[in-house]
Amino acid sequence: MMLKKTKGLVPILALGATVLLAATACSPTSGGGDSGGGDDTIKIGVMATSEGNLAFGMGEAKAAIGVAMEALGGTIDGGEIGGKKVEIIYAGTDGTSGSAQTQVKKLVENDGVDIVFGPVSGDEGEAVVQYALTVPEVTFVNGSASPVGMTLEGATNFFRFHGDSAMWMGGLGAYAHDEKGYKKIYLIAEDYSFPYDNAGGFFSEFCEAGGDVSGSSWVPVGTTDYATIIAQIPADTDAVYVGLGGADAASFLSQAVTNGVNLPLVGGSIAVDTTALSGDANLASAAIGTITGGPVPGAGYDNPNWQPFVDAYVTQPDAFPSPSIFSILYYNSFQSLVLGLEAAKGDLSDNHAALRDALGSLKWDSPTGAISMDENRQAIVDNFLIEVADEGGTLVQKNISEATGVKQGTTVYDRFDGCP
Amino acid sequence: MTAPRFARNEDGLVNPITPAGSPRTVWQRFGWLGWVVVLGLAFAFPYLVDRPRFWLPNIGVRSLWLGIIAMSLVFLNRYVGLLSLAQVTIAGVSAYGVGYVMVTLDQPAVAAIPVGILAGTIAGFLVALIAARTKAIYFLMITLALGQVFYSYASQAIEVTNARRGLAPIARTEPFNDISNFYWAVLVVAVICYLLCRYVAASSFGLALQGIRDSPERMQALGYKVNRYRVAAITFAAFIASIGGVVLVFDRAQVDPDVVSLASTLDVLVVAVIGGIGSLGGVFIGAIILTLLDNFAQDFTDRYMTLTGIVFILVLLFAPAGIAGIGKQVKRVIDRRRKTTVDDAESPQQEPAAEQPTDEAITKGKQR
Repeated sequence: MMLKKTKGLVPILALGATVLLAATACSPTSGGGDSGGGDDTIKIGVMATSEGNLAFGMGEAKAAIGVAMEALGGTIDGGEIGGKKVEIIYAGTDGTSGSAQTQVKKLVENDGVDIVFGPVSGDEGEAVVQYALTVPEVTFVNGSASPVGMTLEGATNFFRFHGDSAMWMGGLGAYAHDEKGYKKIYLIAEDYSFPYDNAGGFFSEFCEAGGDVSGSSWVPVGTTDYATIIAQIPADTDAVYVGLGGADAASFLSQAVTNGVNLPLVGGSIAVDTTALSGDANLASAAIGTITGGPVPGAGYDNPNWQPFVDAYVTQPDAFPSPSIFSILYYNSFQSLVLGLEAAKGDLSDNHAALRDALGSLKWDSPTGAISMDENRQAIVDNFLIEVADEGGTLVQKNISEATGVKQGTTVYDRFDGCP
Repeated sequence: MTAPRFARNEDGLVNPITPAGSPRTVWQRFGWLGWVVVLGLAFAFPYLVDRPRFWLPNIGVRSLWLGIIAMSLVFLNRYVGLLSLAQVTIAGVSAYGVGYVMVTLDQPAVAAIPVGILAGTIAGFLVALIAARTKAIYFLMITLALGQVFYSYASQAIEVTNARRGLAPIARTEPFNDISNFYWAVLVVAVICYLLCRYVAASSFGLALQGIRDSPERMQALGYKVNRYRVAAITFAAFIASIGGVVLVFDRAQVDPDVVSLASTLDVLVVAVIGGIGSLGGVFIGAIILTLLDNFAQDFTDRYMTLTGIVFILVLLFAPAGIAGIGKQVKRVIDRRRKTTVDDAESPQQEPAAEQPTDEAITKGKQR
C-alpha cells in the first residue's frame, strides 16, 4: 500500500531538517558568542521593546545610548569606557515577560554579555529581576522598568538609577486635591504592574489629602475602543486619571475629543508625553490643563545639565522633537553605568565587585537632577510636577514644581477599585 | 471476541494487512533507524551544543512544550477533524493550577503537578461540553472565544491568578533544577505523549473518532454517540495540552496572562502549521523552527516578526502539509515518476488514490 511505503520517511526528513536547522542556526552565533569570555572586551546587552505598542522603546534606547557613547567618542555599537573596549548588543522584545525571558537568557547565555541593560516595561522588569537572582555573576542595570517591587527582591546584582512608578507621582496627589480642588477622580489605566504602582502612588496621596475615587476601568494594553468607558464616567466626577501610554493614550485622547469629554485630566507618567502630544491639534487641545508627575522635566526647567542633553538627543537618528521618558531614563541609567565602569576602571574581576561597589555608591548630577543610591540599589532622584499649558498657540508642558531627593516607599500596589 | 485485522501506518490510520510475501520497502525495513537517530540526537542534545545553558531552555525545553501543546491541537485536527484554539488556554489553566498550588498554597511540586494536569483536563472537558456540538469554523470561534474569556479572567482575578503580575517564583526542585536533567525529563514526557497519542489514535476509540471525522452521520447511524466521542477526544487532547502546560510553567518559573494571550495561541497554531497540521511528530520540527526564529531572527533583521510571518507564508505556499508533509510530497513525485518506468503489475491492489481523500481532508481542513 502507498501509505506503508512512506513509513520512516517523515522521521528521516525530520532528522535532515533538524540537522540542517541546527547547522544554519549555529553558524551566525558561534562567532559572536566565542568572544564573550574575553578579558579586554566588556559586553553590554541592551534590552528594549521593538514590537508592540511600545515599539519605539528601541529607538529611544539607542538614542540615549548614542548620546552617552558619542560623548566618549564611541557609537551605539560600542567604544571605550574606563580604558576597556566595550561592545553593545541589542535584543528587541515585544514588552511581554515571555519575550523578555527569552531575550535576557539569549543575551546572557548565548551572547555572553557581562552586563544586561534594560528592559522597558514593568512586566519584563519583574521577569528580568527573577532571572537576575539566578545569575549572580552578571550585573543588571535597569532601563526604564519601574515596578516598586523590583529592587525589593534581594537581587544584589540589580541596580535601578531612576525612580519607581509610585515615586513618579510624588507630590501630585496633594497638588490635585489642594491646588486644583479635585474631590472625585475617575481612574482609567492599563492593566499591568506599571499603572498599578503609578496610579497607586497618585491615589494614595490624593485620598490621604481627602479625595476619592469615583470609579475605575482597568483596560488591557492595546485597547483601542474607549467609548464604552467614557460613557461610564459618573456625572459628579471632577477629573479623569489617564494611566495609559503610547498608542493607547493617543486613542483615548482622540475618543475623548470626539465624545466631548470636557473634564480635566490627570495623566499617568507616560500618558502625557511627546509621543502622545505630537499628534494632531485636536488631540493636543484635549490635553491642555492636564497635570502629571514623572521623571521628565517640563518647560522652564533650569538645570544646566538638561539643555546639553536635549541638544545631543535631537541629533540622534529617529529622535523625537524632545526626549521621551524612555530616552531620559535609559540615558540616566546608561550614563550611571558608564560612570560606574569608569570608577571601576572597567574591572569586572571577582564577580564585578569593583563595578558593583561603584554603582552602589554612585552620586552624580544628571540632566534631571542629582542621583544617589539607597541600600536597595535603588536611586534617590528628583521628580517633576507638570501641567500642559497653551502658551501663545503652542502647547507646552510647564514645570509646576520639582520634588527633590524622592526616596522609594515599600508599598507594592495592585489593582484597586477604591482608595488604595 | 474478534481480533482486529488491522495494521497501522505511522499516522495511526488503518490499512488492511499487506498480503504475506509482498516486498517491504527500504523505508519499512529501516524506518525505525530514523527514529533511533532522531531520539539519539535529541537525548544527546545537551552534549552537542556549545552553550547548553542557552540551548536547553531557549530552544530545547521551549520547543518541547510548544510541541506537546501543538500536538494536542494536531491530534484533534487529524483524528477528530476539529481545529481547537483553546489548547493554549488549557495548558495555561494547567500552568495556573501548578502556580496556585506552589505559590499561593505553598505546596511542593509533587502535589502541584497532578493538580495542574487535573485542572487543565477538567477545563478541556468543560470546553468540550460547550463546543463539541459545533463544527468547523464555529468550533474554532468558540474555542477562541473561550480562550479570550480565560485570558481576561487571568488578567483580572487577583485572588486566584494575581492578575497581570502572575504567580512566581515556581522553582524546579532537585534533581530537575539542573537544566540537563530537566530537559531529559521533558524529552521523555514528550515521547510518552507522542506514543500515547499514537496509541489512542490506533485504538478502537481512535478508529471511531476517524470514522466520525469522515462521516458523522454514518457513524451515528451505526449507533455511535458522536458527541460523546468528540467530548472524550477533546478531553484527551486537553490532558496532553495540560502536560505541556506543566512543562511550560516549570520552564518559565512563573505564570502570567501572557501565557494564555492570543499571541501565545497563535504561536502554537504557527508551530502546528509549520510542522504539519496533520503530523503528530512534525509539530516538534515546527516548534524548533519557531524557537530558532524567536532567538535568532533579530540577528538578521530588525523586523523579526515579519521574518517569522514570511516563513509561515512560504510554508503554507510550498508545503501546505507542513515541513513533515514535505516527505510525502517528495514521495508522491518520486512514485509518480517511478510508475512511468516500472510496470504496475508488481502490486495490483496498490491504489494510491485511496489515500488521497484522508490526506486532503487533513491538510485542507475538511471538517464536519
